[in-house]
Amino acid sequence: MLQANDIHFCIQNRPIVDRASMVLRPGELTVILGPNGAGKSSLFKVLSGEQVCKDGRVSYNGRPLDQFKNRQLAQVRSVMPQHSSLNFPFSVLEVVELGLLPLGKNYGVDLLQEVMKQTQTWELRDCLYGNLSGGEKQRVQLARVLTQIWEKKPFPRYLLLDEPTSSMDIALQHHVLSIIQKIKERNIGVLAILHDLNLAANYADQVILMKKGNILFQGKAESVMNTENLMQVFDHPIKVYQGDERRPTIIQSIPFKSINNQIKQA
Amino acid sequence: MSLQTLTYQKDKKQFLVLGVLTLSLFVVLILSLSMGAFSIPASKVLYVILDALGLPAGEFSKQESSVLLGIRLPRVLLALMVGGGLGLSGAALQGLFRNPLVEPGLIGVSSGGALFAVVFIVFGNSLPFLGYFGAAGLPLFAFLGGLLNTFLVYKLASQSGKTDISLLILAGVALNALSGALIGLAIFYADDAALRNFTFWSLGDVGGANWQKVGVCFMFILGPIGLILSQYRQLNALAIGENEAFHMGVNVQMVKYILLFCSALIVGTAVSLTGTIGFVGLIVPHLIRLLYGADHKLVLPASFLLGGVLLSLADILARTLVAPAELPIGIITAIIGAPFFIWLIINFKKIRT
Repeated sequence: MLQANDIHFCIQNRPIVDRASMVLRPGELTVILGPNGAGKSSLFKVLSGEQVCKDGRVSYNGRPLDQFKNRQLAQVRSVMPQHSSLNFPFSVLEVVELGLLPLGKNYGVDLLQEVMKQTQTWELRDCLYGNLSGGEKQRVQLARVLTQIWEKKPFPRYLLLDEPTSSMDIALQHHVLSIIQKIKERNIGVLAILHDLNLAANYADQVILMKKGNILFQGKAESVMNTENLMQVFDHPIKVYQGDERRPTIIQSIPFKSINNQIKQA
Repeated sequence: MSLQTLTYQKDKKQFLVLGVLTLSLFVVLILSLSMGAFSIPASKVLYVILDALGLPAGEFSKQESSVLLGIRLPRVLLALMVGGGLGLSGAALQGLFRNPLVEPGLIGVSSGGALFAVVFIVFGNSLPFLGYFGAAGLPLFAFLGGLLNTFLVYKLASQSGKTDISLLILAGVALNALSGALIGLAIFYADDAALRNFTFWSLGDVGGANWQKVGVCFMFILGPIGLILSQYRQLNALAIGENEAFHMGVNVQMVKYILLFCSALIVGTAVSLTGTIGFVGLIVPHLIRLLYGADHKLVLPASFLLGGVLLSLADILARTLVAPAELPIGIITAIIGAPFFIWLIINFKKIRT
């Protein structure tokens, strides 16, 4: 279990994350949602160990974050940041290969090929990373971080994704979420920051709603993501059409135009 | 195509590139040993070297042997090590700064070396304690100056155990400017002889090589070269970003420390023995990346080899173009290096596609 207690993170005495506690269970997809500046990415960085916070503690499988060496941590969790730029002419294969770094020599011969086929990056293997489109770059980075934790291990592991689908088209977004569904089954807990409410509602096991540095709601997607909560978090009229076995949940944000029209009619 | 064949092909390509570079280095070395004011046929060069190794293979004159072993071989080895060292540290620092425009001078080592050298040259006669060091004084001073400057740059950019790369560049620029100003001040007080001495020192020169210098060079450079070469995985990870490298388990601060100080040692030694030789550290890693890709497993050793080849070639030109006089080698590297580099930039897209 990835556990965060009382995370308090300030920049120049302004609290960015204010006393946040959360739990990420292996085998589940937890999605963090919230408006810009809610502190999602900061919380994410504290969880991954990239930012150290003075107050509060993070532990992986019961062991505090600061007791891990970088290499050990890399074997327990894999992180995909929002943007990764590359100034040198690396090929796609070389970028994905970097995911092998923390594994030493303990990996199967087909690991890279399997991951790259799953993420539809195998065809791109000889291309230069710099020449790819935004969505392709994200797929390559996803392949890299998946490589790091792809093979089964006897202990629970975690995958942290900061807006992994932000530049992808609709089909690819669903493709990535279905890969995440698969990787969950390997005793891996996945944490993703998403902006698409519909993806979150239909794929997440647990949803965390953040606003102004606080976690306002935390729980099962269907109970947390209701019209009232979402409107409170995003300060915008939103309508949730709860789905069931046969139909997906649909969440609609209402354009100002139609609100104005409604007011006029009334 | 399967992954294994791909990896195999890549390994084969890297092996081939390194093999060709090693071979050309060998050819250039022989060439460099045989050419000069007093020319020695390549076959005699081999005989002398084999004989010195205890394997008598053929006839040669005493003069050939003494020129070769006493003057030319140390010079050629020095050019090789300095050129290779500059190429390698250029590649390492470009990788560390994640910026292809970085050259070893950026961390202040060259300007620090030059400042201490000019102080030694200009004030050497008036400050009696400098006389104690004798002939070793200038290189020793330049070496200390280079390391001191690098240390200052590193300290300025480090806070609570972390080094900020953009601060490092700024600190480097600032200290380079300060060193430049102080060099100017020292030159202001210099007499004509000192001025001429410093000008030639700053243009670079491998002419004064002897076995002592070669020994010093090997002593200070070999270790750092090995250490830098061992960091290729970490440098590859750093290429996507410092945070990404951390997430992949790399001890980023340690890598920074190793690369900065190994580079400072290499460049500091190079500057102290041969003066400032520009351009090699900048273009050699570029060339390798343009032609063969960015994997540091290849870029690092290939930059060393190509740096050695290029500086040896420049050295051949330096002592044959205006023989029996000699051109400063730094002029050659820049005069040939810069236009070649421009050509390369123009043709950049054609080469890669």
